Amino acid sequence: MLYKLKLIVYNIDYFIKEVGTSIRLNFLPSVFSFISIGLIFFIFAMITSGWWISRYVIQVIQEEVEINVYYHEGLDEGEVRQLTERINDIQGVREARIIDEQEAYNRMVAILGKEAHVLEVFDDNPFTSFIEVNVDLEKTGPVLDELHLISGIEHIRDNKEVLRQLQNVVKILSFIGYLGIAAVSISTLIITANIIKLGIYARKDQINSLRLLGASESFIAFPFLLEGMVVAFAGGILAMILMVSIINFIYMQISGTLPFIPLLTPNSLILRLVTLIACLSIAFGFLGSLIGLSSAKKV
Amino acid sequence: MIEAKGVSLRYADGTLALNNIFLQVDPGELVYITGPSGSGKTSLLKLLMGMEYPSEGTLHVLNQAISKSALLEIRALRRTIGPVFQDFNLIYGRSSLENVMLGMRVLGIHPSQMKNDAKSALVTVGLEHKIFSLVENLSWGERQRVAIARTIARRPKLILADEPTGNLDKDNALKILSLLASFRNKNTSVIITTHATHLIDQKQSFRCIQLNKGSISQDKRECYIN
Repeated sequence: MLYKLKLIVYNIDYFIKEVGTSIRLNFLPSVFSFISIGLIFFIFAMITSGWWISRYVIQVIQEEVEINVYYHEGLDEGEVRQLTERINDIQGVREARIIDEQEAYNRMVAILGKEAHVLEVFDDNPFTSFIEVNVDLEKTGPVLDELHLISGIEHIRDNKEVLRQLQNVVKILSFIGYLGIAAVSISTLIITANIIKLGIYARKDQINSLRLLGASESFIAFPFLLEGMVVAFAGGILAMILMVSIINFIYMQISGTLPFIPLLTPNSLILRLVTLIACLSIAFGFLGSLIGLSSAKKV
Repeated sequence: MIEAKGVSLRYADGTLALNNIFLQVDPGELVYITGPSGSGKTSLLKLLMGMEYPSEGTLHVLNQAISKSALLEIRALRRTIGPVFQDFNLIYGRSSLENVMLGMRVLGIHPSQMKNDAKSALVTVGLEHKIFSLVENLSWGERQRVAIARTIARRPKLILADEPTGNLDKDNALKILSLLASFRNKNTSVIITTHATHLIDQKQSFRCIQLNKGSISQDKRECYIN
């Protein structure tokens, strides 16, 4: 064990130099591998970010499951209060409260942010008052059934349909995400294994000399494992650079036009993606090198 | 140091390269193995290096049995052996120093000691002025000297040289054989295969083993070749 540790520590400069030599000997294939891995990881990052964003959106919406109850305009203040109390008594309702016209208007101003000036086209407040009902997600159905039985209610707006559609989108994106992970894994493994095999064949004389001098297979393999990780990680970095630029660009484009969609902040999305790509590229580079080494063992 | 009892080597294609070899080499011996091409000299050295395994009989090198079941032990054994080949087995694109150090890297030696030992080995073989030269820019004789420096820097207990003069002119061949023979001491044995018996340095005592068609036809402890 001490001998093996000494071998790695004392020869670390040699191993690093060997990685450089191997990349130099197979320069073009190495560059192509690096670019291919980079593009594969970039596509993967895009699919994953879509997947994560949609999952985040649905999570936020689920946390804020609300039913808006619009009552008949003819109801007076006391009747509206009675109606609210009655709704509050329904099992599954967390809270029901009256949102008057002004509050409804103010909320829309907050949501629209810089775009709130569009509301200035209206002479009068276009919003009506309503009862906002906060419910347990699982009890949305029974609560809606109860609400339909209460008189004085003109219209009920729930976001069940939106949620259902979003859940479907997330399911599809999850499936594509898993497919993406599988595709990225296989492609990276194949590319890395091939570049390592090329490196091994290019240096088969050196490998045989090392074997005759008593080098262990792990000593011989170590630079190739490093090389696989370096090439794959370099590809990962390329993907990160592309990804950061594209995500920043997309966020800049949609931040003004889709203010009401709860998106992950670009920094948190980028940080998560960078961590994922860094780990995956190193891991797949290592595994690909192992495959390359095992398939070229007879050299 | 080396003990072979009834060793035969038959290759996969059926060729019998060595037949019923009995051999004992003690520490500190200088042994020349001679014989015509195809007599089994290289096959014997391959066996001693664990590159081939006996088809019959038993072979021990530095107390290690040479057999298919001892692959890891054979790798460890090779770290105590200094091989020298006819075609040098050097790594091109690297300097003399890097080539010598490559042989030491597998031993787990501290980098600074490794560099010093590699330099002194190159000085010993007379290449102090070519330490940083790329090996492809050296003459054949100089390349073989680098290979010898790589071997001696490892301080091996056994030096195995397979036709080390095969690619050299007469002057260089004489120098190389004499250089190799000079590394024999009480702890280190040197075994050299050669068909150029006229180049052997006669000034020091040596043992000569003659192979013929895979068998030992002559084994003299105090040998003089005419």
